[in-house]
Amino acid sequence: MISDVTSSDAGAAPEEAPAPSRSRFGYAAVALLLAGIVLGAAIGLVVPRFRTPGTDSVEAGFLRDMSTHHAQAVEMAMIAHAGSDTPGIVTLAADIATTQQAQIGYMQAWLRDWDLDPTGDQPAMAWMPDAAGSVVNGLMPGMATPEQLATLRKATGKQLDVQFLTLMRAHHLGGIHMAQEAEELSGNKDVDWLADSMVTAQQGEIQLIDDLLKQAQAG
Amino acid sequence: MSTPGPERVPSTVKVGKTTGQGKPPAKKAGANRPNAGKGGKGRKPVTPVKVSGGRNWGPIAVAGVVVLIAAGIIGYGVYASVQGSRAWTDKLADIKGVVNYRAQKNATLDDRTHKDGALTYLTSPPVGGSHNPTWQNCMGDVYTEPIANEHAVHSLEHGAVWVTYKQGLAADQVAVLQKKVEGKDYMFMSPYTGLDKNVSVQVWGYQYKTDDVNDSSIDAFISAARLKASMEPGAACSSGNTTTGPVTAATSNGASMDTATPGSSSGS
Repeated sequence: MISDVTSSDAGAAPEEAPAPSRSRFGYAAVALLLAGIVLGAAIGLVVPRFRTPGTDSVEAGFLRDMSTHHAQAVEMAMIAHAGSDTPGIVTLAADIATTQQAQIGYMQAWLRDWDLDPTGDQPAMAWMPDAAGSVVNGLMPGMATPEQLATLRKATGKQLDVQFLTLMRAHHLGGIHMAQEAEELSGNKDVDWLADSMVTAQQGEIQLIDDLLKQAQAG
Repeated sequence: MSTPGPERVPSTVKVGKTTGQGKPPAKKAGANRPNAGKGGKGRKPVTPVKVSGGRNWGPIAVAGVVVLIAAGIIGYGVYASVQGSRAWTDKLADIKGVVNYRAQKNATLDDRTHKDGALTYLTSPPVGGSHNPTWQNCMGDVYTEPIANEHAVHSLEHGAVWVTYKQGLAADQVAVLQKKVEGKDYMFMSPYTGLDKNVSVQVWGYQYKTDDVNDSSIDAFISAARLKASMEPGAACSSGNTTTGPVTAATSNGASMDTATPGSSSGS
């Protein structure tokens, strides 16, 4: 019955005087068009927010935490770069410092692109399941303690070389673990790409560190 | 829009005359065109009543719920988008008691030049002004002795939050503050001689003072301003001075990081 009515309604409408019917259609069309534009603009405003990670996402957590993690690698590398007498270690330190500082730039820029704060309210490692226990005195996996850093700053010669390589080796292992986990959990291709490059580069550097460590301890 | 047009025209031509009275035919239920002509006026008041009376509320309710959910999702998205992009300065302004020194446009506070030696500052602890070329290391460093304002102000310029507490504050209260700082870059803390409250947190141009180390506004301040307050995006907190005690004229870029300043060494 109802469908009958509507169909005949639609069919009958044109039967009457065409002029008023058309203008009514015209108003309806304009109204629909305007509504469509408004709705489209609203969706356009909103959809990018749904497509980029939110502030409590794995991606945001990883970028913030890895920025802090990287910053300490830069700190240690700068100490070794300034203090080591071994050319191979000075070069490695420069490589680590420049690469990781640049990667901090990538990570911070993405957070900014996503309209997120560079720092968050979440505790360290909150983005990684079952990782809360890995944070000791605020330090993420592999990070050197304030005491270790103080000792490194005072060290010279062979002591500096050995301490730097040992600390950086542990730091890389922690960083690789975090990056692998992020790659697994994140659905963002940029984050996956950077995390993967960290894993590859730092695994390679660990081999180099092992070689340099043998030389340093022998020397 | 173009397709319905031609269809309408022929139909109008066919039956146009019989239904010339305009609206009534439109309301005729199930009427064939020949019939429509005969009893137009008689039926029209009857059928509309039936139609409206037989309105099926089920689909309308479902459609209403769908529209409500859609509007809710869109509304939340807009809210999250607006909220997420709220300026950190607005978040700071929401914290009762935060002093905004940037708003004062004070040339001495806004001065960002590098100067050697001891400097004087307008506020205690300082929140801006000219400073030593070497910044204080602010990689979550916890200094157990007072540090030089001249280095600390440079760290503020780099975006760090400096947590200061009244010298002699009870160890358990210092430990509460330490938890907020350790392991976090763009954070550092130290005792401050002559502080008028138990705690003062500051970034470049903003300060919040309180007597309660558990004051949630401390966390809100840190959350809103850490790194965002940076005057030099990308500037680091490492490679800074790591010693405590007053600044010395000899202190300058990098070279003196470890040895230049006298006084007790950092507890961190």
